[in-house]
Amino acid sequence: MGVSIEMVGCGRKIAEKLKTELAAVLLGHDVKDLADQLVAYGADKVYLAESELLRFYHSEAYAIIIGELAKKHRPEIFLLGSTSTGRDLAPRIAAKLCTGLTADCMSLDVDDKGRLLQVVPAFGGNVMATVICPVHRPQMATVRPGVMKPPEIVGGRHGEVVEIPVDLKEEDLNIRILDVVTEEPRAAPIETADVVVAGGWGVGNTDGWRLIEELARSMDAAVGATRPPVDEKWASEDQLIGQSGKTVRPRLYVGVAISGAMQHLVGVQDSKVIVAINKDPNAPIFKASDFGIVADFRDVVPPLADAIRKLR
Amino acid sequence: MEFGFTSEQEMLRKSAREFAEAEIRPRVRDMDETGKVPMDILDKMAKLGFMGVMIPREYGGLEMGHIARTIVLEEIGRVSAAMANTLQITHLGISPIVTDGTEDQKRRWLPMLARGEKLSTFAVTEPTGGSDVLGIQTTAKREGDEYVINGRKCFISNSHLAGVLGILAKTGEGPKGLTTFVVQSDSPGFRPGREENKFGLRGANTGELILENCRVPKENVLGKEGDGLRIALGTISNVGRPGINAAALGIIRSCLEEAVRYSKQRVLYGKPISELQAVQWNLTDIYMDYEASRLLTYYSAWLRDKGERCDAENAMAKFCATEAAVRCAKKTIDIFGAYGCMMEFAPQRLLRDAELFISGAGTSEIMRLVMIRKVLTLA
Amino acid sequence: MSRVNCIVCLKPVPDPRRWSELALDPITKTLRREGIPSLLNPLDKHALEEALRIKERSGGTVTVISMAPLTANDVLREAIAIGADGAVLLSHKSFAGADTLATSYVLAAAVKKLGEFDLLLCGNQSLDGGTGQVGPEIAEFLGIPHVTYVRRIDVLDRGAVRVERALEYGYMVIEGRMPLVLSVVDEINVPRHISLMRISDAMQAEIPVWTSRDLDIDSGRIGLLGSPTQVADLFLPTIKRRREMITGAPDTVSKLLIQKLRELGVL
Repeated sequence: MGVSIEMVGCGRKIAEKLKTELAAVLLGHDVKDLADQLVAYGADKVYLAESELLRFYHSEAYAIIIGELAKKHRPEIFLLGSTSTGRDLAPRIAAKLCTGLTADCMSLDVDDKGRLLQVVPAFGGNVMATVICPVHRPQMATVRPGVMKPPEIVGGRHGEVVEIPVDLKEEDLNIRILDVVTEEPRAAPIETADVVVAGGWGVGNTDGWRLIEELARSMDAAVGATRPPVDEKWASEDQLIGQSGKTVRPRLYVGVAISGAMQHLVGVQDSKVIVAINKDPNAPIFKASDFGIVADFRDVVPPLADAIRKLR
Repeated sequence: MEFGFTSEQEMLRKSAREFAEAEIRPRVRDMDETGKVPMDILDKMAKLGFMGVMIPREYGGLEMGHIARTIVLEEIGRVSAAMANTLQITHLGISPIVTDGTEDQKRRWLPMLARGEKLSTFAVTEPTGGSDVLGIQTTAKREGDEYVINGRKCFISNSHLAGVLGILAKTGEGPKGLTTFVVQSDSPGFRPGREENKFGLRGANTGELILENCRVPKENVLGKEGDGLRIALGTISNVGRPGINAAALGIIRSCLEEAVRYSKQRVLYGKPISELQAVQWNLTDIYMDYEASRLLTYYSAWLRDKGERCDAENAMAKFCATEAAVRCAKKTIDIFGAYGCMMEFAPQRLLRDAELFISGAGTSEIMRLVMIRKVLTLA
Repeated sequence: MSRVNCIVCLKPVPDPRRWSELALDPITKTLRREGIPSLLNPLDKHALEEALRIKERSGGTVTVISMAPLTANDVLREAIAIGADGAVLLSHKSFAGADTLATSYVLAAAVKKLGEFDLLLCGNQSLDGGTGQVGPEIAEFLGIPHVTYVRRIDVLDRGAVRVERALEYGYMVIEGRMPLVLSVVDEINVPRHISLMRISDAMQAEIPVWTSRDLDIDSGRIGLLGSPTQVADLFLPTIKRRREMITGAPDTVSKLLIQKLRELGVL
């Protein structure tokens, strides 16, 4: 449930501040066990709606059921994860309830007036805005996975699970889900990738390059390179980043065994966060990074990739 | 005087630029390395109307005029001078059919040229010289309802690509002894010969044409016998030179952008070299060359769109823009330092491309000869 | 196949290559965008392309609409030069300052005025705001279904469409009865270029401008006043590199790095 648990954690903190109740809404088929988990993570109440119709995310059905719940129980605040589901469902509900919705919040807090303070990036993160929804209710916000810290399970928590009857039938609705197919994620073109891991001359050989690719896989990142790996054919020309290659704008760039020559750095300088791993403490890349680790990449990359994989 | 562009011209510029960036830019390196002409890109350009910019609407063209043509060629040239050359030479070949063709000739050739089904060119230069037009040796003898053409043309752009070509040949002696023929590449006795290996404008085709008892119907004479010199010089002055000017302008624009971008990024002595006065002077010189060439190029296009004779202005723009392109490309290489000498970086290609335009459509020396005729009337 | 008529919502967005020039007014807490040219939101180009392909297969029409300042005329003409049959611009000072809800409300009203249609297409999200909210909100106001993250559209004979909806690790196949709202992602197609041959006609096309008086709307639900969300503060994040070195054994260093990256919301 990933991001939903993170939202419970975030919602719990806000509920404490407002001295009010935190409820979770759980829709699906055969998901009753998850309701108990939600309570363990901090929900005081779980509204549970189960039906074969709800097994997969069905925008019409979910919006109708949750919309009715919201109209009935009138929450102050309503949070969702910003996933393909959340980004589809939240606006439909917001329009149903004629209320405000802020997407991809980087932080959420309440002020002394009980207003939700929603901090969001705009223009690709070049500008940050604090948004409020002063009058309309509920105040709705979505948050991307991994932004909020997941809460700890608190032993001995009690919560109420309220079962909601589902009368909706597929015949009454205008869309039908015909199939749900799982696919291997396609390699994102490097220019539009959210996360980029790049390797340089110091990677040394194809065995070393495999570590770079592994690190990238652990983060769903695109793999980039400086000129020497391309010349050595560990990487292809379209992975070249720099003055005579591509410019990347990821939110996270990790440069491994790259010294940081100008003609490479110009291709990454718009990255939100730059991390450098290099065994030479004087490598120029450190001056251009947010975080630097002086180490042989062979020592650091495997445990790093491991730790990242464990997060997911 | 109105120095701005209309919104229609701005839309045209934007369209050409977006096409060039999306379709041509990724292929520039490959074109330069292999010298191969990307026929698929030409095909896409044809479908979007690039070839028919100067052809009247009734024959399927855009009937857009010289300023519009200059805008399109400048934007293509900014990404690839080679591509711009292929396009502007096609316009060159098309032009005499528009200006001097009969209704029948226009109907026969213009629609397919507008659709880009066939490319075009205009062939004057021979081993005896390009500057010495009257010295050409290709002959055309009337035999019944046909002309039989014999000769060789060299350094002809689009030699191996063109399907409909304008050929200048001797039907008599002296200035009135030249005739322009439209020759289709499938004519008996016509074939392209050797293909040249140029150091610049690679990805554009230049080569030899061989006419050995090449037979064309008498209906393929443009104008009449003896009109050849007027048609050839007119089309080279009004369409050939301006086409080169626009492409050269694209090169200078590219020099300016590369030089400015590089100097803002390159750090020496702890700061970008764009803060060093010597580099700043080079940058402003490139800027002045760009703006001056731009004004002369668009000015002569404006005159032509008004229907005025402007051989001197066309020649002046050609002299200035092409010489400036070479000058600015060298300055750009120098700003890049050692990187400027590496094949991996653009400036060296810009210089190699620019130099080819010095001798196309008349050398700088010939441009002076063209200008002097007007200059001597000024006082 | 019977004719399928499409409406495409377009948004002009400030050119991302010039975003570094965005000036923040520290007093009014608004962004100054003067001098930064706008371009057509990239995903909207994909939406327009898909509409044109549907038109080519079914023989229907493609109308583009936008709620934007008057300068959006250029972007609408560009859409016509690419192939749209007509365009409508919704522009009025009362529309300004709208959040996604107020924007969707106005767009929905305009769509109602345009009359019957089969598909409303838009880009899944815009470059600048990036919320992805307008498509679903318009659908709710129109009372029709919507699908987001659409990467493939097949029009079926019986007034329905079958679409593929991209998920994080795969896709869904969904069938829906028209009319519906489809928000598309870039995988769906490769947009065509502006045809030089259409520029002249596009420049001369008449593009009606509808103000609040031309639409059947409640003036309390539009523009800044009709927006439930308000910007309370606007600030530029500091972009200087931290140059923070992380030391320790490989396991420690990994944990520390991950923690810091999560705090910044990039992992």
